[in-house]
Amino acid sequence: MFRELGRLQGRVSIPDAKAATLEQPQGRDWRQFREGWLPWIGALAVLGMLLALFAFYFTKGRIRLDHTEESGTKIQRFNAFERFTHWLTASSFIVLALTGLNYIFGKRLLMPLIGPDAFATLSQWGKYAHNFLAWPFMLGIIFMIVVWLKDNIPNRVDVAWVKAGGGFLGDAHPSAYRFNAGQKVVFWLVMICGIAMSVTGIIMLFPFSATDINGMQITQVVHALIGVLFIAAILAHIYIGSLGMEGAYDAMGSGEVDLAWARRHHDLWVQQQEAKTASGPQIGSRGAVPAE
Amino acid sequence: MKTIVLAVVAALALGALAAALLTGAQRTAYQAYATSGARVSEPGHNLVGPTWSGEN
Repeated sequence: MFRELGRLQGRVSIPDAKAATLEQPQGRDWRQFREGWLPWIGALAVLGMLLALFAFYFTKGRIRLDHTEESGTKIQRFNAFERFTHWLTASSFIVLALTGLNYIFGKRLLMPLIGPDAFATLSQWGKYAHNFLAWPFMLGIIFMIVVWLKDNIPNRVDVAWVKAGGGFLGDAHPSAYRFNAGQKVVFWLVMICGIAMSVTGIIMLFPFSATDINGMQITQVVHALIGVLFIAAILAHIYIGSLGMEGAYDAMGSGEVDLAWARRHHDLWVQQQEAKTASGPQIGSRGAVPAE
Repeated sequence: MKTIVLAVVAALALGALAAALLTGAQRTAYQAYATSGARVSEPGHNLVGPTWSGEN
């Protein structure tokens, strides 16, 4: 036996090479993070965001549509494959988020309520769901890159949009192409967090294939920290897409928005669409619906 | 709504496919980490038996 990097490590002849590490002091730091810091960071991130959203809702209320400005003509905002991609990723994410939070908070919050037997069964199935629904989530992230990356490259219009406060400051609506700067922030957040969660998740799905015990612990720390921040950020996205903004759901629900609304919020994108097909299939008049 | 239902069904189907592929490719610990000399009983069972009753 000899000391190397603070470990007690020897040699073994069995196929399990990691059994050669008898003692790994860094594991105590990881356990301190896992049992001490992580629940606090997770609770602050998730509950903090929920409190902020409640405060925003009860002080500002819903962002209402001006129904008098609706044109009655609809424009397709998202096609069927784009909506499929969004909901494939979203439905997987919801299960991953809930089962992921169970890893951190389950034994503290759920087990006292439902008992150890029910909690053990729930957690076992939650673990299966987390491991296996990670794959449609990762596929969704790849699809999102394919369909939306080209519309989310930052440009000068985004700078002007941010300077104008995204239309929240004053009455004027700043110009935007298909996605405004705020939506681009959500896209890049999902891409960066989604890819980071995918890479660290795959490393943990195949333990010790890519790294040793130190690497596994660091991977878990990164996965957990990004995970709770990702959940907090997506809570804000869910709020804006449902309760926070009237009609926002329709763009990703039916895929169509009112043309007047689109001109108001995404004028440069509408110009591009009209240049492609001024009176073609892109713009139809099939009765008024709530816009995004 | 049709797209949402389709996406949820696709997520479940892909999850089931991932479960089948990953579970099929998985080896138990005694297969992956121990040679036959280290196995004290029928692989897959332990000393307390499969039902933890002490009867193998």
